[in-house]
Parts: sequence; C-alpha cells; structure tokens
Amino acid sequence: MKCCVGIDLGSTTTKAVILAESGAILGRGITNSRSNYKIACDVALSEGLIGARFALVASALEGSDPAAGSGRALLAELEHGLREQQYRSQLRVLSEVMHRFMAEGDSDALREVVGEILAAMERGAAELFRSGASRKSDFFRDLAGSIYLRLAEEAAKTSPVGFDRLVGLFDKAILDVENRPTDAGNFGRHARAALSRLPEAPAALTRAVEEVAEVTLDLACTVGTGYGRATLPFPKEQIRSEILCHGLGAHAMFPGTRTVLDIGGQDTKAIQVDAEGIVISFQMNDRCAAGCGRYLGYIADEMNLGVQELGPMACRSSRPVRINSTCTVFAGAELRERLSLGEKREDILAGLHRAIILRALSLLARSGGVSDEFTFTGGVAKNPAAVRALRGLIIDNYGEMTLNISPDSIYTGALGAALFARREWLRRGSPGSGEATSDRGAEGGRAA
Amino acid sequence: MSAGARQGSHPVSSALCVAGIDVGSSAVKVALLEDTGEGAARVLLTRCERIRRRDCQKVADDLFGDCLSQAGLAREDLAYIATTGEGEMVPFRTGHFYGMTTHARGGLFLDPEARSILDIGALHTRGIVMDHRARVLGYRMTSQCASGSGQFLENISRYLGITLDEIGPLSKQATKPETCSSICAVLAETDVINMVSRGVSTPNIIKGIHESMAGRYLRLLVSSSARGVTLVTGGLAADIGLLAALQEAAEAEKAPIQIRAHRDSVFAGALGASLWGAYRVRKLAARRMVFGQGDGTTTAVAGAGA
Repeated sequence: MKCCVGIDLGSTTTKAVILAESGAILGRGITNSRSNYKIACDVALSEGLIGARFALVASALEGSDPAAGSGRALLAELEHGLREQQYRSQLRVLSEVMHRFMAEGDSDALREVVGEILAAMERGAAELFRSGASRKSDFFRDLAGSIYLRLAEEAAKTSPVGFDRLVGLFDKAILDVENRPTDAGNFGRHARAALSRLPEAPAALTRAVEEVAEVTLDLACTVGTGYGRATLPFPKEQIRSEILCHGLGAHAMFPGTRTVLDIGGQDTKAIQVDAEGIVISFQMNDRCAAGCGRYLGYIADEMNLGVQELGPMACRSSRPVRINSTCTVFAGAELRERLSLGEKREDILAGLHRAIILRALSLLARSGGVSDEFTFTGGVAKNPAAVRALRGLIIDNYGEMTLNISPDSIYTGALGAALFARREWLRRGSPGSGEATSDRGAEGGRAA
Repeated sequence: MSAGARQGSHPVSSALCVAGIDVGSSAVKVALLEDTGEGAARVLLTRCERIRRRDCQKVADDLFGDCLSQAGLAREDLAYIATTGEGEMVPFRTGHFYGMTTHARGGLFLDPEARSILDIGALHTRGIVMDHRARVLGYRMTSQCASGSGQFLENISRYLGITLDEIGPLSKQATKPETCSSICAVLAETDVINMVSRGVSTPNIIKGIHESMAGRYLRLLVSSSARGVTLVTGGLAADIGLLAALQEAAEAEKAPIQIRAHRDSVFAGALGASLWGAYRVRKLAARRMVFGQGDGTTTAVAGAGA
C-alpha cells in the first residue's frame, strides 16, 4: 500500500508521521536525534512504519475477532514485547561496542565490571518492559544511560575501577551504538519473538501479525522539515521550513487555531496562521537555550529524573520559588544550590516552569499576541506544569480563550510535513505512477 | 613523611599541617600542605574528584577522609581546614576564604612570577590581577551565561565521544579550525552535531571552540588589566590545546601577556586556601603571645585546629 511520510528532524528528537492514501494518520515514530542525521531519520521512519503496522494489525483484528476488546489488550502486550526485543537487540550492540573499546590496555577488572553491569541490564530488561512498568524515557540512550549510571555508581564502590572510567566508556560507546543502523526496525522478527512469549496468543493475532509483516508499505512521497532539514538526503522540493509545517500541522489538528506556540527541544516558536493554516507571522528565540525544552531536559538530568516526571512533580508545588538564572546551565547550578539549602524540589521546579513560559510569552507578544483559538505544541506541551503556567499567564494577559493541546502535539511538525508530502504526491497526480520507492530497502537494511 | 608525629599542637615557629578544600561546581579539590612558617610550604598531597551529579557534600567528606588516611594524618593533626569555592557547606571547616584570594595565593605559590590569574572553572571564569604578595588588585568575572565555560567544553566533548584528557592533544592536530561563534553551552551541542554531519574533523572542531573560548578569555584578561605572566588555574588549565589557543590569541592581539600553567594548576584554589589558613593560624598565635597568654602558645592555637 502507498503512504506519504513527513519527517521532522529536530535538535533533540526526530519524528516521522505516516499518512495513508486517504490522508488518515497511519503511524507515528520518534527517536532521539544524533550526530548522524541520516540514521536518526531512518530510525524515526522505521518506528513510524512499526506504528503503521500495529495499526494494520489492529484493524485486521477488529475485522476478524468478535472480542476486539481483548484483542486490544493483547496488542498492547505485543507492543511491550516488541519494545523489549528492540531494547535487547540494542543492548547486544552496546555490549559488543563497549568490549571493542576496551580491547587494549584495559584491566581485566574493568572488563569484568562492565560485563557484570551489562549482564544486570540484560536481566532487568523484562521487568523494564512489562505492561504497566514506568520508564524514564523511551529512547535507548536515555533509558540505558540512566540504568548504566546507577549500576556503575554501585559497582565503583566495591571495585578498583573508577566511576569516571566506567562513565567515560559508556559515553563513548553510546555514540557508536546510536550512529549505526540497528535492527530495531525489523517488525516481523521482533513481533514474532514477542508473540512467542505471549502465553496464549489467539490464532487471529498470530495470523494478523504474519499478514501485516508481509505487507509492502510504499513510500509515495516524503517531505522533511526541522532543524536538520537542510542536511536531509532529500531533493530541495521535498524540504519545507519548520514554521510552515508547524502551522499546517496545527491547523490539521485544530482547524480553528490562529496562534500556535511550539516549544521544542532547542527553539521556541510563536506562529500566527490564517484560516487555511498559512503562516502570517512568527517569532523564534535567539541563540540561547533558556526557555526551550532542552532547559527542562537539562534540569531533569541534574535531578536525575526523566523529563516526563518534571511536570507532575512541579504541579505538586504550593509555593513556587523565583528562579533568577536565565542561562540553562546556571539554572542547573542554582537548582543544586537551592536543593542543598533545603528548598523543596517541587517548588524549585514550579519556578523553572514559570520561567520558561514567561520567555515564551514575550515571543508570543512579539509575534502579534495571542488569538483564539490558541494551540500549544511541541514536546513541552505534554508537560502539565508548563501548561498550567501558560494557561494562567494567557488568561492574565489576554483573557479567556480556547487552549488546544493534542496528546500527539510533538508530531505537529512531522504531520505538517506529511501533509505537504501528500499534496506533492497528489499534485504529481500519481497514485500508481511508479515513482514510489519501497520501504523494504530501509527495513531490509536493518534486518541483517 | 613523618606526618604521624604531629601531636595536635602547633607552636608558631614549627611547621604546621594545613588542609585546603576547594568545592567547585564540577569537582572537589583537596590539598594537604606543610607550612614551615618561613614563607615556604611543602605540598604533602593533592587529590581531585569529579562530582558527576553526586551530592557534593558527600564527595567532599569522602575525599577528605581518603586524603587524611593516605597521608597518615588525623583531623587533629591539622592546624587549619580551609575551604573555598562552594566549600562553605563543609561542616568541619575551620574557616572559609573567598575564591578570588585563594586563587591568587595558590597561583603565586605555584608560579612566583605570576602577576595575573585566569581561573577557568566549569561555570565561571575569573581574571585576577595581583601583586607579588598575592594581594588582589583587580578582577573580572563572567556571569549570566555559560557559553565558553568549562561546562560548554565538557558538553561538546561528550557529544564528540572524547574524554577531557583527549581534548588538548586533538586540538593541536587541527589543520583548519572551524570557526565557532561563542554560543550557548547547551545549544552548542547541536552546532557541533551539525559540524560533524558536515564532515568537519574532530581536531578542527575542538580547535575552533578553543579559539572562540580563548578570544573570550583574552577579552576578560585585557579588561581586568592583566599583564606579564598569567597563570591559568582551574580545571581547564590541563587543556594544552586551550592554553596554546590563548597564547596565540594574546600574540595576535599584541596583549602583554604570557600564558602559563602548572601541573598542579587545578589545585590553586585548594592550595591558596590552605596557605591562607596557615597564615591565619600564625597571625592568631602571634597575637595571643603578644596579649600575654604567655604559657600557652600551644593551647591557644590548638583551638584553631580542633
């Protein structure tokens, strides 16, 4: 079947949205961006295709299984299983790379400690991905990194190997692990492995998985956007500015929207759009990370929390503190200092969230204010404390208005790009013109 | 060393054992020193431990304990435990000294010809001008933004997958440094990712960053009226690539500055703190003698070390 793809290569995460011929969203994929854009792009795409295949399995089940409800639960189980398989395959690569980096001049003690840490990570994999388990991040780098760091700190206490050496080795290895194509995108293999671990998988599910694994997804047209768009391996006409894509994506999600605020990893954008989703004016932040998502990521690292844990924690604050540092790095230091003075984590976090939103508000004002309906997108829109601070400040400054937030808001730019891709494909007038390339190549490359 | 022989009493005329603890934002540095009172001092031991997001008070506690046992000393053997930097949180300190004065004192100790100090830490950079007795004549400090700080370099090296010790030698291999504007320490990561993806080599990226940092530091030094031998202290003094870039920048700008570093530069704050501690002990003891607690220089000064 044919599909159109939008890829948003952001500074922190790379997103892909897959549209069916009808224009309906078939799948979404996300990964962390890394120094190799091509691979970030491939991984996001293969994740999106996995999402698309899950959607296809779900609709096959709905058609065949009268008890679709239990099918959905099974499908969720299957997805957990598949994530676990992906994680395990990444762990194997990590282990191989770390052992390669230790090849010469390193002590047996180091090799032993690293081996033990990796074995412990392997043992913990099933627990990490059982249904209902909470994970700090869905990206291998963050997830494996935080577990490795914790294990390394413990190991360093009782072994002659220094913590610094252990961490340095991981930092070095993870780059290599990230920047090589993995087989994480192989739906058929991982889904079959996951299926075999489901105790009583009904025949219908097994059949649906087998059928869907064989479906060919033809990428009819792909459009790229985002921070890294200029380096995407696409022809120029398949590149769109992120402002245009965010405007169009937000319009597709909420047709009534007139103002869009996007707080992404490294930039904050305030965009005004017309009734067609066309951009009228916009403002972006300057070369400083204060007020972006990265600010929160940095703070989360400082507190040794996952970035999605920050918002809920900040929401528990009753007395937000005033954060004085504008610089992200300095705010991190201020945070440490305030913690050591005994201030509560939730109060400090609430202050940090407010600081970010205040910066966004000044951008909004410069772009032409806030009009009904107002849409908040980007990774930070998922953060309840940021939303709460924004809602309060908007009402104070502009009065009551509709505030739209989609749970999939992080995909807004990629959705806009996918919509442009679909327009391009329709313009070529070419359902079946033979220009499409198969995704088999992309997936097959990882299957080795 | 016969450190164990010390009895917890510190007559003014004999040698004193003192400690300096410099708690920075990324590492804790400890120096143990024997001060002979004749303007001379002998370093017994120095140790540095990176904090790496751990509780820095605990890191300081543990490291200090390790240092004492390594030197065969007990806390009572020390006439003074001086802290500097963020060291005010160390509960067992005798006294705390301001970073500006400790870096000046420690810098002069390491290099008696030094008349200015460039202290490059993880977050802040200080340019200090002093006289031949480590009296601070003027200083300048960065603030508000961590671009071009030690943290900036650390973030970047992590992205490039190189350790901090590899940075300097790599920088020296550069053939065509990639110009890098002095940018946000956090956003620089993506700039570097961009450079990597454009195929710029690691040495050229590093050297470009060193040049941008050097330009920034030189402006700081010039604006604090530094001249003559400038000793680089703090964690980044070990980065030979940065030092080379600094010297090149000073020459290009015709600034009357000679850049130097010392093997123990990272301990300048801790050394300076311990030296000021010893100075204070002697001052106090001398004053008590004058004011007639004649029988007991020992008891009088032991109080400072307790």
